[in-house]
Amino acid sequence: MKLRGRGIASGFAEGIAFVIRVPFSFVGGADPATGTVLDAATGGANERLDGRIFAFPHGKGSTVGSYVIYGLAKRGVGPAGIVNSAAEGIVAVGAILAGIPMVDHIDVGGLENGDTVRIDGDRGTVELPGVRARPVVSVVLRNGGRILLVRRSPSVGTFRGRWSVISGSIEGREDPKSRAIREVREETGLRGIRFRANAAPIHARDGATMFVVHPFLFDAPSRRVRLDWENVEHRWIRPEEIGRYETVPRLPDVVAAVLRMGRES
Amino acid sequence: MRLTREQRRLRDDGTPAQRKAMQILLALSRLSEAERLVPITSAHVSGASYKMIGDPGLEFLEDFARDARVTVPTTVNPLGTDLRQWRELGIPAEFAGKQERIARAYESMGVRPSFTCTPYLVGARPSFGEHVAWAGKQERIARAYQSMGVRPSYTCTPYLVGARPSFGEHVAWAESNAVCFANSVLGARTNREGGPSALAAAIVGATPEYGLHKDEGRSPTVRVNVTTKPHGLDFSLIGLVAGQQVGDGLPFFRGFRGSEEDLKWLGAALASTGACAMFHLDDLTPEARRARTAGLPSLTISRADLVQAQRSFTPEARRARTAGLPSLTISRADLVQAQRSFTDGTKADVIALGSPQLSGQELWSVADRVRRKPPRIPVWVFTSRAVRDENPEPVAAIESHGGRVLADTCLEVTLLEHRFGTVATPSGKAAYYLPSLCKQKVILDELDALLERYG
Repeated sequence: MKLRGRGIASGFAEGIAFVIRVPFSFVGGADPATGTVLDAATGGANERLDGRIFAFPHGKGSTVGSYVIYGLAKRGVGPAGIVNSAAEGIVAVGAILAGIPMVDHIDVGGLENGDTVRIDGDRGTVELPGVRARPVVSVVLRNGGRILLVRRSPSVGTFRGRWSVISGSIEGREDPKSRAIREVREETGLRGIRFRANAAPIHARDGATMFVVHPFLFDAPSRRVRLDWENVEHRWIRPEEIGRYETVPRLPDVVAAVLRMGRES
Repeated sequence: MRLTREQRRLRDDGTPAQRKAMQILLALSRLSEAERLVPITSAHVSGASYKMIGDPGLEFLEDFARDARVTVPTTVNPLGTDLRQWRELGIPAEFAGKQERIARAYESMGVRPSFTCTPYLVGARPSFGEHVAWAGKQERIARAYQSMGVRPSYTCTPYLVGARPSFGEHVAWAESNAVCFANSVLGARTNREGGPSALAAAIVGATPEYGLHKDEGRSPTVRVNVTTKPHGLDFSLIGLVAGQQVGDGLPFFRGFRGSEEDLKWLGAALASTGACAMFHLDDLTPEARRARTAGLPSLTISRADLVQAQRSFTPEARRARTAGLPSLTISRADLVQAQRSFTDGTKADVIALGSPQLSGQELWSVADRVRRKPPRIPVWVFTSRAVRDENPEPVAAIESHGGRVLADTCLEVTLLEHRFGTVATPSGKAAYYLPSLCKQKVILDELDALLERYG
């Protein structure tokens, strides 16, 4: 599959992904002579950046980081490419000085260590040749400050027994919002729901499948839910309680994203 | 993105350094959603002290200097040591050698060899048109010398290094205190540039147009009422207190006046504890009258806040205080409090004056004071090479009374930590940075009080 982002530093690169989930400082975070990761908070200490496609949310720390990236590339131990969720000046400038292709506006939460990744810094794209995209909708239903969680039935195809929100696959060129409304009706029997917000797609991985999740927030007129075969149990919870449930991948991010958009709109 | 024909030429057919510089400015434009590059009349680059940028910075600058040349008058921040007095200061030879290589790399790019954090203090104040033509010709003379293999001396005449922009001029400056001074006191326009972005702007002669380059980016976001009449150290203290509260906001100060030098100390401290790039001061700074303040949140700084700030300063204390008060009043008690909160040392090993570097006028005033009250402990005074050379008399007076006047470098970017454990200083900015950058204890007080104590 191909992800569309924004080109920051030009050029094309292919390599094996090294993915961390926390912001990264090249000063103190990597050995400037060898490109070995030093920062234990990354969960990837002792990994080598050399030749990898390095994916992390965004840079942080000292502006000397730009020069460290340059030095790594010059010694041939720097990353082959950089992917960020949201680039900032230090890493962006460093990538340009070093001639390392870089793309941002990519949800790095969907990338995994070991993925083969191709990035195109001119087109602003990130390609995952071994991964298939599956677009889905995830609908957060809200009533009086609580949101609806449902537990997936043993008969569904994926994530059996996990907690989720109302969800379903998008077929062909179907409009995600009408799919969202249809799924709510089928899975809960609720009618008269009101659209509140949607958010940018979130990437959730399951092996070679990338769920491209389109998050929606709707207000429900009541809490009277009639489940169909796809779910076996439901609960109306406060959003902050979500950490107590074993959920489908990245559900907390989906919920946080639409609630934030809902507050802003 | 709209580019001029010349900018397109630099991007597509420029030298390797010009193409890199354009790529940096274009990427930063994308990040900030700037629609064009605005021409600048000067640049000021940070990242010159070997202590701060280390081997990675040295390596990049030497490589880049092979074909990078600046096209507007460009100054650069202080080095990690005075290049002429490093032996006397006990600086290791390897450090001094690498520092010298950084200086030489910048010089070969055409950067003026005045290593200063106060580019606005150096040199005369020419009018706009005059400035450009004058600097341009001077640049050609300097280049001619360089191409003949003459290495520019650090003893520059003031007109060589003048980088004082006029009202409304766009510049690309790094170094937070210089940014704050240029925007607030001079009414020039600059964002807080990073070292490489200011260098890229110097090469292209333009910078992404967003933030403080635009009218809407220069509106105040918070009113700060000061209820005490400040003098001397108080200006640093007001900056420290307000910066903690205002964060990256743009404060509109009310209730006091001050000289240009006073505002230098205020801005330097404000830009240390806060990410402030600009302030307005009612009735005094050039854009204050235009600024609309109706409906802004307001805050008051009292003497008590300043006492608090001078007392031992901890990250927790800072976090606790930034919890977004809608209004702040600064009173006399705040200032006293501030002074205490930034003081954690008890016995000073050195009195250090700088951060930012002193002006000529300030050198004279220091000389008067040490003459009257010679200190028992060393007094290190930091200024630019140009100001030092212009003022031989106060320099001689300070040095004959146990002091040392250092050029090319400044207080927290030089190696102090290998000699002194506790530094006494009247600089709010130094009081903020010394504990973290140099692992030193600080006594924050007026120079007169320090000379009284250690005289």
